[in-house]
Amino acid sequence: MAADRVELPQGTLDLLILRTLALEPQHGWAISERVQQLSSDVLRIQQGSLYPALHRLERRGWIKAHWGASENNRRAKYYELTKSGRRQLDAERDAWEKLTAAVAQVLGAAREGV
Amino acid sequence: MLSDLFIRLRSLFRRGTVEAELDDELRSHLEHLVEKCVRSGLSRDEALRRARIEFGGIDQVKDECREAWGVNLIETVWQDLRFAVRLLSKTPLTSAAALFSLALGIGANTAIFSLIDAVMLRMLPVRDPEQLVQIKFRSPQSANLRQSVTNPIWEQVRDRQDVLSGVFAWGPDTFDLANGGEQDSVHGIYASGGYFATLGVRPAAGRLLNPSDDLRGCGGAAVLGYGFWQRRYAGAPSAIGSMIRLDGHQFPIVGVSQRGFTGADVGEPLDVAIPICAEAILHGKDSFLDDRSAWWLLMMGRLKPGTTVEQTAARMNVLSPRIFSASVPLDWDSASQQLFREYSLVADPAGSGTAGFTGIRKQYGQPLEILMVVVALVLLIACANIASLQLARSAARRREIGLRMSLGASRTRLLRQVLTESLALSLSGAALGALFARWGSVFLVRMVSPSHDALFLDLSLDTRVLVFTSAIAVLTGLLFGVSPALATTRTPAVAAIKETLEQAGGGRSQSAAARWIIAAQVALSLTLLVGAGLFIRTFTNLMSVDAGFDRSNVLLVDTNIHNAQIPGPARIPFYGQMLARIQALPGVVSAGQTWMRPLSGSEWNNNIEIPGRQLPNGVDPLTYLNWITPDYLATMRTRLIAGRSFDARDSASSLPVAIVNQTFARRFFPGENPLGMRFGTGERGPVRAKWLQIVGVMQDAKYDDLREDFVPVAYFPLAQMADVGESSTFEIRTAANPSSLIPAVRDAIGSVNRVASLEFFTLQQEADDTAIQERLLAVLSGFFGALALVLTAIGLYGLMAYVVTLRTREIGIRVALGASRSSVLSLVLGDLAALVIAGSAAGAAIAFWLTRYVQHLLFGLPSIDGLSFALAAAALAVIVIAASFLPARRAMRVNPMVALRYE
Repeated sequence: MAADRVELPQGTLDLLILRTLALEPQHGWAISERVQQLSSDVLRIQQGSLYPALHRLERRGWIKAHWGASENNRRAKYYELTKSGRRQLDAERDAWEKLTAAVAQVLGAAREGV
Repeated sequence: MLSDLFIRLRSLFRRGTVEAELDDELRSHLEHLVEKCVRSGLSRDEALRRARIEFGGIDQVKDECREAWGVNLIETVWQDLRFAVRLLSKTPLTSAAALFSLALGIGANTAIFSLIDAVMLRMLPVRDPEQLVQIKFRSPQSANLRQSVTNPIWEQVRDRQDVLSGVFAWGPDTFDLANGGEQDSVHGIYASGGYFATLGVRPAAGRLLNPSDDLRGCGGAAVLGYGFWQRRYAGAPSAIGSMIRLDGHQFPIVGVSQRGFTGADVGEPLDVAIPICAEAILHGKDSFLDDRSAWWLLMMGRLKPGTTVEQTAARMNVLSPRIFSASVPLDWDSASQQLFREYSLVADPAGSGTAGFTGIRKQYGQPLEILMVVVALVLLIACANIASLQLARSAARRREIGLRMSLGASRTRLLRQVLTESLALSLSGAALGALFARWGSVFLVRMVSPSHDALFLDLSLDTRVLVFTSAIAVLTGLLFGVSPALATTRTPAVAAIKETLEQAGGGRSQSAAARWIIAAQVALSLTLLVGAGLFIRTFTNLMSVDAGFDRSNVLLVDTNIHNAQIPGPARIPFYGQMLARIQALPGVVSAGQTWMRPLSGSEWNNNIEIPGRQLPNGVDPLTYLNWITPDYLATMRTRLIAGRSFDARDSASSLPVAIVNQTFARRFFPGENPLGMRFGTGERGPVRAKWLQIVGVMQDAKYDDLREDFVPVAYFPLAQMADVGESSTFEIRTAANPSSLIPAVRDAIGSVNRVASLEFFTLQQEADDTAIQERLLAVLSGFFGALALVLTAIGLYGLMAYVVTLRTREIGIRVALGASRSSVLSLVLGDLAALVIAGSAAGAAIAFWLTRYVQHLLFGLPSIDGLSFALAAAALAVIVIAASFLPARRAMRVNPMVALRYE
């Protein structure tokens, strides 16, 4: 297990879930595995916060769920992105990119000033 | 959002399925985790353990998911509600006390406001009543305003006035719907064409009378009152266009007046209105239309916007000479005619007497205002109850709240709990209050209805008022329930827990508030009780006042022989036959006959003159007159003070005589023996002679109503009258219940003349009905005074019970240390006694101050009625003792061992 794991900043969990589901419908476990894998093990979702987040997004109508068979033939609850979820993902991604760019710029300027 | 609603509803109503799905989902995740660990080389058991640790508390996750579904709020509210009910039922008496205070307060207020609303609507459905002035006149010799005018005067006023935006006249009368036999009489008016338009009354159906209906020689048209239309025609639209028979003449019905409009007269419903010109249809050649001595109309006008009463009165005064010169009664002697020309018109906004909307305001407006103040005070007392009970409750809960906070409950969660509890209490109280209001208003209307004219009231509950009073009660509950809780949650949890129970109970600011509340309650209750005492005593005084006659067992029969078509001179012997038949009936003790029915509000009066003397300045010559038969005084049990009563000696050919009352004798013949003195009635009319000799003096008796001061009265014998009308009243003293004689009297009169129309009253009824306003005030102020007492008792009891509970431990210690019972009692009651005494003193002061404002509504009481104050204080003392008895006894019986183990 990598030692340089990073705590998820507030509000990014939703973005990560939506992004992961943009690829294909997934069940909860697969979402957490996929995030870990895509971030090269840097990001790891707290199991305890994943499911409340999923249920919250479902209630907002950004993702919808259906029951299906998992890869090892178990019953699993698959989540997929809805249309409004896709719009939400785009909006949140834009906001995130603006934020990180701005933060990076500030940090860069600060470094130059030192 | 649809998904939101769907998920909320699904999680709420398909709870089992949703929970199972959540279980499945989480289990599936856990299994994946275990498998992963197994793949990395752990044993199955070790993998399971590891997975559980990594996943964290499953229940916590589930809880958070549920929160995400949005059902948690509903669930916690439900939880809070159950907890609140459990908590409230732990102190059932206090909770019931709070609940009933609320229910009674809200119920009584809604009931009384619904009633007041109904009465107000019934009374004042006219446009801008403050612009209405009654047009009266005064003779230069007298300060008295007179209101009845002749039709020639009215026509002059109508045609000449230029200062009012509208004027109208009306003459009250009763019309008989029946065709002979017992009268089926309705309250009607002759209305001038501008009557409805000037008042600003709208039609409920059809059209109202307008000036083109009121032209000389008109064919007649009738407008029905709304209530009459509902009663007789069941509100059928087909009534309009049909014919109605009034005194045997047919009139087409053209419309119905606005709902709630009862005419310009107080106390009489308006059943039917016909134009003034139609009087000629009913009375033919006896018509009053051109009669310059028939005083049967009242006049009213509407001020032009921006003009004052004074400006209007000044202009009327300028117009007066021309108006009166054109309507001089031709049969008057020249001196009287000259006086008549000097009469002047007056605009009277106070509208004293029976007519006028401003008069209604004066007569009914103030009692209603008083009742509004009374119910507001009652609501205050009820709210004070809630406040003090909530304060006590929250004091006792400080520890519980502290404990829960230290166990990790969030502040919002705790406040929500307290809020739920307050709301549960308030809302159930409001619901119960609505129920009470329903019963209460029916009960109230039954209490205030006059005996023969049931109030025609729309009794639907006033929901606005219900909402308003409930809102006040709920707010009070919230304020006094939540604000202490707010304070508690702000103090560190540990401190709150550490406080012993009695310290909590004695929380300084809270107990100070509670003491203020109790003192205020006592003060308000005492005020209400004093008011109730004053009004009840006014009513009983009025009911037992010496009216100058004995009102029990007297049957009154209004008779009209219009249909018999008997010419004037033949009427006196005709009446004699009727009276003889009545006197011969078994069960009749004695019987008399008069023109004016006693206490009816109808009057015959004139300025008297004394031959050879001028009345001193300031002596009002106005004297109330009546003709009577010889047995009248004996029948009424009015005592003869001096001289003789009328008898068979007094005939058309004998010396014209009169009987006067004591007030007459005192006013016009002070210090003299009035017997043998002579006086005249100025304008002669029905009186045969210019001068009449006084042969008897009788005791003073009320003429118009029970409240009036005695007025000068003179009676003449029927046998000596020059002219008698078609209407008169028989007074019959009966041996038993007067109503039981009605059929026999009807047959007796019918045997003389079948078409005479009759209407029956009892004197008792007449007397009762003159005191309706006093009865309303007495009944309602008594009712609310009692309610205030009950509420105060409830509040006191609840608070005392709490205090004793809180101090049980302290009392136990004191008893264990040897305190006597009386010292325990003084510990519990001493504080209370001081509060009650201070409250009573304040209440007495308030009542003392308020008495001035209701002085004119009181009757037969000293300016400060000590008895009412004493009774109120006594009632309050009894209630205070009763309310504190049980808790005090419990305090005295505290067992020290039990009390000390309590914690």
